[in-house]
Amino acid sequence: MSIDTVLLYFFGIAALAGGVLMLVAQHPMRVALALIAVMLSLAGVYAMLGVHAVAVFQVLIYVGAVMVFMVYVIMLLDVRDPSFVRRYSRLLLPGVALGALLVGALGLGMARLGGAPEPAAGAEAPSYLVRPFSQEFLQQYWLHFELTSVLLVAAVVAAIAVIRSGGRQDG
Amino acid sequence: MADLQVLLWLSFALFGIGLVGVMVRRNALVMLMCMELMLNAVILALVAFSLRTATLSGAVLVFLIFVVAAAEIAIAIPIVLMLSRQKRSLDVEGYDSLKG
Amino acid sequence: MNLLTVIVLLPLAGFVLNGLLGRKLGPTFVSVVGCGLPILAFLATLKAFSTLQLAGPDAALIEHAYRWAAVGERAFEIEFYFDRLSAVMTLIVTGVGSLIHVYSTGYMKGDAGYARYFAYLNLFLFFMLTLVLGRSLLVCFVGWEGVGLASYLLIGFWFEDPAKAAAGKKAFITNRVGDAGFLLGLFLLYWAVGTLNMDEINAAFMAPVAPAVSASLVGILLFIGATGKSAQIPLHVWLPDAMAGPTPVSALIHAATMVTAGVYLVARMHGIYEHAPEASQVVAVIGLMTAFFAATVALVQTDIKKVLAYSTVSQLGLMFVALGVGAYGVAVFHVYTHAFFKACLFLGAGSVIHALGGEQDIRRMGGLARRIPVTFVTFAVATAAIAGIPPLAGFFSKDEILWFAFASAQGGSPVLWALGSAAALMTSFYMFRLLWLTFLTPSRMSHEVEHHVHESPWSMTSVLVVLAVLSAVGGFVHLPEFLEPVLPLATAQESLEHLEHRLVYVAIAVAVAGFLAATWLYRGGLAKGDALAARFPRLHRLLGGKYFIDELYDAVLGRPLHWVSDRVFLRAGDRFLIDGTLDGLAATTRRVAGRLGRIETGQLQWYVAMAVLGIVGCLAWVWRHV
Repeated sequence: MSIDTVLLYFFGIAALAGGVLMLVAQHPMRVALALIAVMLSLAGVYAMLGVHAVAVFQVLIYVGAVMVFMVYVIMLLDVRDPSFVRRYSRLLLPGVALGALLVGALGLGMARLGGAPEPAAGAEAPSYLVRPFSQEFLQQYWLHFELTSVLLVAAVVAAIAVIRSGGRQDG
Repeated sequence: MADLQVLLWLSFALFGIGLVGVMVRRNALVMLMCMELMLNAVILALVAFSLRTATLSGAVLVFLIFVVAAAEIAIAIPIVLMLSRQKRSLDVEGYDSLKG
Repeated sequence: MNLLTVIVLLPLAGFVLNGLLGRKLGPTFVSVVGCGLPILAFLATLKAFSTLQLAGPDAALIEHAYRWAAVGERAFEIEFYFDRLSAVMTLIVTGVGSLIHVYSTGYMKGDAGYARYFAYLNLFLFFMLTLVLGRSLLVCFVGWEGVGLASYLLIGFWFEDPAKAAAGKKAFITNRVGDAGFLLGLFLLYWAVGTLNMDEINAAFMAPVAPAVSASLVGILLFIGATGKSAQIPLHVWLPDAMAGPTPVSALIHAATMVTAGVYLVARMHGIYEHAPEASQVVAVIGLMTAFFAATVALVQTDIKKVLAYSTVSQLGLMFVALGVGAYGVAVFHVYTHAFFKACLFLGAGSVIHALGGEQDIRRMGGLARRIPVTFVTFAVATAAIAGIPPLAGFFSKDEILWFAFASAQGGSPVLWALGSAAALMTSFYMFRLLWLTFLTPSRMSHEVEHHVHESPWSMTSVLVVLAVLSAVGGFVHLPEFLEPVLPLATAQESLEHLEHRLVYVAIAVAVAGFLAATWLYRGGLAKGDALAARFPRLHRLLGGKYFIDELYDAVLGRPLHWVSDRVFLRAGDRFLIDGTLDGLAATTRRVAGRLGRIETGQLQWYVAMAVLGIVGCLAWVWRHV
């Protein structure tokens, strides 16, 4: 049982705990903080697995941009809200049951069907460290990467459109 | 690799928690955050499979998902803001204009 | 040489031409086509007749027109058959038919439906010729139904009057009742004999081994059909109502041709009736009852056409009496003479109605002899013919009927003769009553009507003259002997043969007695007749109400049928069951849709839950064997 495995399991359990906290906490800010904890734990999992590039960008993009945005929004909105008094919708029990069912179905299927296909024999395992990974990534998948910028442009336009139309309706 | 199964179980568990959160919590922003949790679970599964098959394509897909998640959150939050401004509340049970 | 097919199709061409183009091309076109084609058909019939005569006494022309249907090895063909009997009938139909068409050009002049009238009249001729010339009973039946249709169309010709339209309906429906019997007879014949060709059926029944079916049963069933078409009791109720149609229609269809179709049918199928004594007896008895009772009703009628209608029913009854005692040729002989004098009488009545501007009640006529002389003379000749005054045509045929009714070896009896003679006496009486009250008594007309009395145009009077001449001399052609190769002569019982001459004198005496009685009662007008009626009020009311048979039918059949239609079929069946089921289905669908609509709550979380449920289900299904 090496230190790596222990840390791996530690981060895994931390992620789970954060997830459960998200369900239980009442204030949205606490939920956001729990989510940040989950994301950081997952980044730790990736780091332990050796996939450094993904771990880094998980923290940078997800925690650094997405969650920060979320936190700002929560801070700006009014907390005196009916969803405060009653946290859970009517679907509490059915929801939990369905979620458990789905997880069970997926897990069972996975267990019975065996794992992923074997890696090709004799192929060299790629390195997921930042430099080698980035080189491979931009050499082979540069087009896909550039195309995502189109998606981002579309998102910017959409955000502006939503804000503008909302402004016109409000009055 | 035994790790794969463990990782996948973790992924399914996080996905399930996120799903339950979407169905169960009343606050719109909390629902969004639970959806992010689901996305993260998917990313974990992708990484696990990428390691297992010893290829890069899983990790590359993860990058693309980052972009998508960012774009998504950039749109979703303004929408929720507009909605909350109109309905004067963040309670999703009140968002039932499409009823019937 | 498709002469017979041409004869049949010429009037059909007239129907099509006048029906499609008549309105646009005007009355002259309609008259030329409408009269010309039947005249052509008559000429073609003459040609066919001469061909037949050259071929020999029992020859027959057979023409194949079309194969209608083939079922396995059997086939139903449309063939036309022309022997002496067909020749006589076809000549009557086309000859008298053409004359009546010519008369119609004068009578129907100015009517809005002129083209339609001639189209229907030609259609009738087409179907009647199909009936008479068909070789198979099936083709005959097509013509049978077709003349019923044409009759309905023509009786209800002025259909804007609901009463007239109802009369048309009554005729058609009553005919259909008879046709059910006809059809059953057809089915039995086809099943037993294997063919519907009339000559082959007759041969089969006259063969040593008869077909395995009761000849009496088939005979009675076919006679039921004849009852409907030829207005015998109990299906006679439509004929008096049919007077609602134009008078030439009454002359052609309900005197000369259509109503004699039943007589033709029985005569043609004589092979069956010769071997069916019970059926023949039924025919004779019904014919006799009809003859007698119709004559009694005609005694008190006041509408000129109704008198003639009941007279027709009565004369048809006499024809069936002749058929019932085996004197088939004699019956056809009476058809032939009856066509002449009855058509002349009806057309004369039409001329009177035309002269009086629409008046039909004889109580408001009188004194017309000087003013419309041609009509009067022809009407008088025809009256004498129907009464049986020698040597006019009616005397010969009626006398033979009464003789065979008395003396035939196949069912003649004194009772038949006595009641038949009583009917003849009444016939003579009411016909001369009609003649006196319409023409010879002092005028009872209203002033304006009297002012407008005028003789009919030559298109009408010429036809009257021709028919009157035929009524006078037609009897000298001795038809039964001519038809003997086809219709065997009836035989008289030997023990009674010496009475033949005496019965002839009795017949003449009967005719003259009728004339004298009518003259004594009605010479001065209505007074004596009304006094006689006042002495027997109940009898008068019974006769005047036609024995209330229509009311009986209405109470026994009409009203229960109406009740069943209303209560059972309309309310229970249609509204409750059918509409209820449909409305119920619609309401159920609505309710279910309403309930299902509750899935659409509009709430996102509910939809997510549903989606997860679906996904779990799909996964379970896909991995069910894992």
